[in-house]
Amino acid sequence: MNTLITCTVNGEERTALADTRDTLLELLRDRLGLTGAKEGCGNGNCGTCTVLIDGAAVCSCLMLAQEAPGHDILTIEGLAKADTLHPIQQAIVESGGTQCGFCTPGIVLSAKALLDANALPTDAEIRHAIAGNLCRCTGYGKIVEAIHSAATTLAGR
Amino acid sequence: MAPKPSSAYQIVGKRLPRVDAKERVTGQALYPADLTIPGMVHAKLLRSPHAHARIRSIDVARAQALKGVLAVVTAADFPELPVGATIPMGETGYDMWMIAAVNLARGKVHWVGQPVAGVAAVDVHVAEAALALIEVDYEPLPAVLDIAAAMDPVAPVLHEHVFTKGVEPRPRAPSNVGSRTVIARGNVARALEGAAARQRIRVEVDTAHQGYLEPQAVVAQVDANGFATVWASTQAQFTAELMIARMLGMAQSRLKVVPLEIGGGFGGKIAIHGEAVAVRLAQKCGRPVKLTLTREEVLQGGSGPPAGALIDVAVAADDGGRLVAIEGTYCMDAGGLPGLSPSLLMQASAALYQTPNLHLQGYDVVTNKPRTEAYRGPGGIQAAFAMEQAMDALCQRLDLDPLEFRKRNAAVTGSTMPIGTPFPSIGLTTILQCVGEHPCWTDPLTQGRLPRGRGLALGYWRGTSMTSAGHITITGDGRPMVTMGAIDLSGTRTTMAQVVAEEFGVPISDIHISTGDTKSVGYSDGAAGSRVARTMTAALIEASRDALAQLAGRAAEKLQCRAEDLSYARGVFRSRQIGGPAISLAELMQATLTDGAVVGRGVSTKLPLGVEIGAHVCDVEVDTATGQVTVLRYTAFQDVGLALNPAAVEGQIEGSVVQGLGWALTEGFDYGPDGRLRNASLLDYRMPTALDVPKIECVIVETPVPNVPYGVRGVGEVPIVPPAACVANAIARATGVRLTRMPMTPERVLSALEALARP
Repeated sequence: MNTLITCTVNGEERTALADTRDTLLELLRDRLGLTGAKEGCGNGNCGTCTVLIDGAAVCSCLMLAQEAPGHDILTIEGLAKADTLHPIQQAIVESGGTQCGFCTPGIVLSAKALLDANALPTDAEIRHAIAGNLCRCTGYGKIVEAIHSAATTLAGR
Repeated sequence: MAPKPSSAYQIVGKRLPRVDAKERVTGQALYPADLTIPGMVHAKLLRSPHAHARIRSIDVARAQALKGVLAVVTAADFPELPVGATIPMGETGYDMWMIAAVNLARGKVHWVGQPVAGVAAVDVHVAEAALALIEVDYEPLPAVLDIAAAMDPVAPVLHEHVFTKGVEPRPRAPSNVGSRTVIARGNVARALEGAAARQRIRVEVDTAHQGYLEPQAVVAQVDANGFATVWASTQAQFTAELMIARMLGMAQSRLKVVPLEIGGGFGGKIAIHGEAVAVRLAQKCGRPVKLTLTREEVLQGGSGPPAGALIDVAVAADDGGRLVAIEGTYCMDAGGLPGLSPSLLMQASAALYQTPNLHLQGYDVVTNKPRTEAYRGPGGIQAAFAMEQAMDALCQRLDLDPLEFRKRNAAVTGSTMPIGTPFPSIGLTTILQCVGEHPCWTDPLTQGRLPRGRGLALGYWRGTSMTSAGHITITGDGRPMVTMGAIDLSGTRTTMAQVVAEEFGVPISDIHISTGDTKSVGYSDGAAGSRVARTMTAALIEASRDALAQLAGRAAEKLQCRAEDLSYARGVFRSRQIGGPAISLAELMQATLTDGAVVGRGVSTKLPLGVEIGAHVCDVEVDTATGQVTVLRYTAFQDVGLALNPAAVEGQIEGSVVQGLGWALTEGFDYGPDGRLRNASLLDYRMPTALDVPKIECVIVETPVPNVPYGVRGVGEVPIVPPAACVANAIARATGVRLTRMPMTPERVLSALEALARP
């Protein structure tokens, strides 16, 4: 069965028809055309579908589209301001923290949730914050380095 | 021309950010699952619930009748390819009979998850419902699930046409052993017998998975003229096109494969997994079709995992610590269809040692599990897990430092490779020297509450060369626009933009670079075998020089001088006369655009190999109460010839090592007695998270390969080879226990510790 869903995504009010079986990830990808969040497993184990719900990192494959109304949803498409990358994105570009790129949107958003709550995290805190985001290409070192560097940039503002 | 050090170049060898990083961090990078085209419908595959069964019949009538179902296909919708059908690829070709069976079973199923039928429907939910309505009448057969059982002479036989190749006389009965491969010299039995010290180790390696985060996905569209376009996640667009065309019995000229971004491949996306089925469905229903595998499908028989193995190695040395013999038997699990060649992994495991006596034999064994495919230096980590542990145990027996032992026995430039030919220029001696001087080796092991140990292991991978092509069109504003045949797995667009920028003497930001589809660029082999950076560099240098020669002709005309009187530097042609006229590429193209296109072409074939060598050192801590192994410190030394981009090289090494650590410690397929994978999810199949691994330190050594542009070697494969042995050697030094089963899970470590403690 299809129902109309209205929710706030990247600061805009969006309305779409969605199947009652659709996950939030399917709503974002298939109904709203926001394909930055990926489906790597569909079970909440890999973190490629991570979005921020009211500031918290959530696996959008584990939430139903029907639960979206009333929440403020941020996807990777809403992070950069026009031509200017967010410092986390900029740091990942500079450090070589992205290879195939499939995990990258989720990792950027998990990192944002971390830095919003903890401005200067330790190495262990960073690794803990992205432990729900699998990356198969980088071995994580350059991602951790990038998040440290972004924290420094943000703290200096 | 002797290669120069990286400091001699302006752009090559520099630590530059990826040219395509922005689209990755903003979510704009487009993978096939992200693609939607008007009218598109969705496909699902029906998969075998049996590990081994005969298909008596398939009835699709009820599925076909379901509202919303647009097409159903089975193997009957495809031409039957005979055993022995091949397509060209590299040195051996690709077995198309096998590829067809991987994509759709015909007559028999050989593993749980092998596709049997495909459905296209208006949405995924309807397609799923239709699968349940397809009636397949199976006659279940006894399944053979592990290597030892499959090699038993009384085992049920999977394929009646498989008679072991490589044994004399030819066997009179079929068996589960596809082939036997032997590499030998000297007399190993006598040398082992008479040696001062010897060690033997037998290891078992569980099947694992490449673990690419992007499940296979494809969109196929067939236009009104019957021309098919396939948007794919592939390591090899031309190989995919050959495979799809052959499976469909379609002319290659009627088909185009467009490679979109690929979310990791590591060898698992060279072959097709559903692409031809999607095309046939699109032909049948007249609508574009998207097929996306779920993670469970990827793990449960829908993709080709790397091979499990049973390996037995014996090594022996004289009392001076010089190797006198290496013997190895490598039984590799090919999965449900034969054709896994163990030759390269056999060579790799013994390549870095000089020995007068060598006997290696390998077996290609079929079992009722998914047909295995490549994974980063295929077979290398399994073989090294045995060989490098045997060498380490021999050092312990001889009471000899493991680094000193390697120095005494290391292969050097000109020494004999396992296949009997001399080694081309290699830098193993330099690597071992670097290890000996590095703090990771000279620092004393830090003490903790739990036992700690330090391990050393070497790795070798041969790689390949094959064919690469690209062309460079000069835009109206004088900038090089590069179209190359290489898929960018992890930085190729960036390193190749560096190469072209270096040739043209212009900033890297002036270069536009993309991967071509199969109808817009010349034939290129896939991104596999550590071949792309080296061979595409050669192709694009040729294309750059071709374009510059054409531009020089135009510049000479414009500047009214002879082409040989021109000099070129940094994007400007200049007459050599003092105070002579000059013209920039931008001015030249503006002035001559309507004279026609400037297109430089380049092809590289049969370039010398760029063999890869690495040495790894790690410190581990073993929790003797739980069996948990923690890697405290990890350092990888690697000879890369010349690092085109050190950040990209480190990225390859760090990621590859972490994959190796995953297989070493936690990643293994757990099959039930029915042949069903019991851990087909990313929760139960445990890949390393950021919490499981330390920062990997890389030490780059540069020993250029002669007659290869910039002296570049392969980089990406060898770093996955040593990690499991390196960790096992560290565990042995920490606890006195040799782990012979991989992955070395806490449960296995604990039971090995308990066995040691028992009187």
